[in-house]
Amino acid sequence: MMENPLSDMNSDGKPVPLTTLLPGEKAKIVALGRSIRGQHHFRTMGLMEGKIVEIIATQPARGPLVINVEGTQIAIGWGIARHILIQKI
Amino acid sequence: MKKISLMGCPNVGKSVVFSRLTGVSVISSNYPGTTVDFTKGTTAIGGEKFELIDVPGTYSLAPTSKAEEVAQTMLQEGDIVIDVIDSTHLERNLYLTLEILGRKKPTIVALNLWDETKHVGIDIDVDKLEKLLDVPIVPTCAITGEGIKELASKLRDARQSKAIEPMSEEERWLKVGEIVSEVQVVHHRHHTIWERIADTTVKPITGIPIAILVILLTFLFIIVIGNLIIEYLMDPIFYNYYGPWVVGVVNSFSPDGLLHDILIGKSTIESLDFTQSLGLLTTGLYVPFSMVLPFVITFYFMLSLLEDVGYLPRLAVLVDTGLHKLGLHGSAIVPTILGFGCNVPGTLATRILETEKQRFIAVTLMAIAVPCMAQSAMIFGILGRYGMKWIFIVYCTLLMLYIFIGLLLKKIVRGESPELLLEVPPYRKPDPSTLLKKTWSKAYGFLAEAVPFVILGVFIVNLLYVSGVIGVLSTVFSPVLTTLLGLPEGAIVALIMGILRKDVAIGMLLPLGMSPQQLTIACIILTTYFPCIATFFVLLHELGIRDMLKAAGLMITVSLTVGIIMRLILIGI
Ligand SMILES: Nc1nc2c(ncn2[C@@H]2O[C@H](COP(=O)(O)OP(=O)(O)O)[C@@H](O)[C@H]2O)c(=O)[nH]1
Ligand SMILES: [Mg+2]
Repeated sequence: MMENPLSDMNSDGKPVPLTTLLPGEKAKIVALGRSIRGQHHFRTMGLMEGKIVEIIATQPARGPLVINVEGTQIAIGWGIARHILIQKI
Repeated sequence: MKKISLMGCPNVGKSVVFSRLTGVSVISSNYPGTTVDFTKGTTAIGGEKFELIDVPGTYSLAPTSKAEEVAQTMLQEGDIVIDVIDSTHLERNLYLTLEILGRKKPTIVALNLWDETKHVGIDIDVDKLEKLLDVPIVPTCAITGEGIKELASKLRDARQSKAIEPMSEEERWLKVGEIVSEVQVVHHRHHTIWERIADTTVKPITGIPIAILVILLTFLFIIVIGNLIIEYLMDPIFYNYYGPWVVGVVNSFSPDGLLHDILIGKSTIESLDFTQSLGLLTTGLYVPFSMVLPFVITFYFMLSLLEDVGYLPRLAVLVDTGLHKLGLHGSAIVPTILGFGCNVPGTLATRILETEKQRFIAVTLMAIAVPCMAQSAMIFGILGRYGMKWIFIVYCTLLMLYIFIGLLLKKIVRGESPELLLEVPPYRKPDPSTLLKKTWSKAYGFLAEAVPFVILGVFIVNLLYVSGVIGVLSTVFSPVLTTLLGLPEGAIVALIMGILRKDVAIGMLLPLGMSPQQLTIACIILTTYFPCIATFFVLLHELGIRDMLKAAGLMITVSLTVGIIMRLILIGI
């Protein structure tokens, strides 16, 4: 299979939205974006800059993602995930 | 009496610790936000009596939500704080801990879920943590009770931390990071087979079939086991023992007349009649105990099981996209399922939704299209004898109403429908004794609430008949009932009763000699037209008078419209 040219570009540091990650892939969080309850709310769920996220599952039609951050699973709407920036590793 | 407040993040096991310390069982469940209001209890430790308060879980003391405001006040009022921590999520739990310690109340920390740390490969240096925080720390496993004694005995050592000062949010997160890196070692671990299996329940390809299976099995369990309880336990008790006895007793002091009829209706020892006699001691007890209770028990058993295992958040993920079309999001599935038990807790649980718009939609849809278990049991009881087809028609109609009204409300209600953000807790093995206790406390709650109201309802019906009021009302409402809806005019008694209790109301349809078509229409109307009085007051409290009026207007309109449509489909003109 051909390497995804995009993933190559991302590995040297350019942050991309969390929604570009595929199930099974891992990445580092670089920015949290906004939630209606504020960034503090993300942090209390264990979602913090510098942490490694993995996508467990995605739903069709821009449904929520289920991610794993250091052992905690979080379901997160597509619209929120879009504003969370990550760096693929 | 000194006050102890039990504080901590949501879902860390506070309620279980509370039960352990007080012996009072409170509802614990495996999804965040179970404890909406606080619970109080007393406990004796070392000869001294304490008042213990189960404070709603919060991630922080910054008052941005109702739960946090409550937590603030409780903290200030308490003399001692027991801070319960989920040891498997030290980092985020410590944020609240540092905030609490900054308030300088005597504090002791319970490192709960200690058993789980081994499973997930986390090592915590308790002694070091104790030094860094400068308060006593006790590892506990609340569900088995390990460490709870030590926690109680160390309560007198609870002290103000000298190590932790008040600080800013930024500083606090930094400090948390520092502490965690010093006391915690996480062993790298590969996903276990169980985790992989667990993950299949949130992947759409496997998750959706599993969800359908889970829901079907749940239904099947409730119906089959419920019916077995009726057939082999409740009915024999009522028909072989209780019935002959109560008729004998009543006959001995009042062989006929008004009192006799109000107490046991037209029942005789030879022909016991529990469903249609409308006696306080016959129908009034048979309906709640034999027709409804068995299903209430089986329903709450399954609900508690799904809650404790941790399945509901997964279901929320799978239905999220669908519920977005109705202006809701996945989390709304939890209050909806609770609503199938009873609309009162269902309505209260909509507080987990973020915006007014979502809450209005969730609450209105529930009031219109989600029948409570008591009502469902009666629908099954009276329609089941004509075949599953009719039951199917009732529930399909309700489902369609749920969807159509949801689509409509999403368009016309102003406000925001934010996206899902929900922690998915790990699956946990349910504890059988907690499960049974929970089921029992819900069933008991049902009986305590239902029996007096059912008896009152049956009594009022008797009064209405005896006084002739029914005759008058029947004539007044006859045009709507017979001409528009194709029902007998006597059905007005059910509509009046439905305002008090829906189960009794559906029971009132039986003596009217209606066809299955008419019964189906009547069941749909009784579900949709107005909530029972208990739900009404909760709605009023939660929505405020203006939104309540809007919702009520919608209910009556929908009910009448769908009633007429069903009449045209099922009976014709
Ligand atoms: N394995 C394990 N599970 C626990 C422990 N304490 C509580 N639980 C479970 O954790 C879940 C949340 O408990 P609950 O008391 O409702 O948490 P609260 O929201 O803090 O009141 C329930 O499913 C409990 O059975 C524990 O020490 N070990
Ligand atoms: Mg609780």
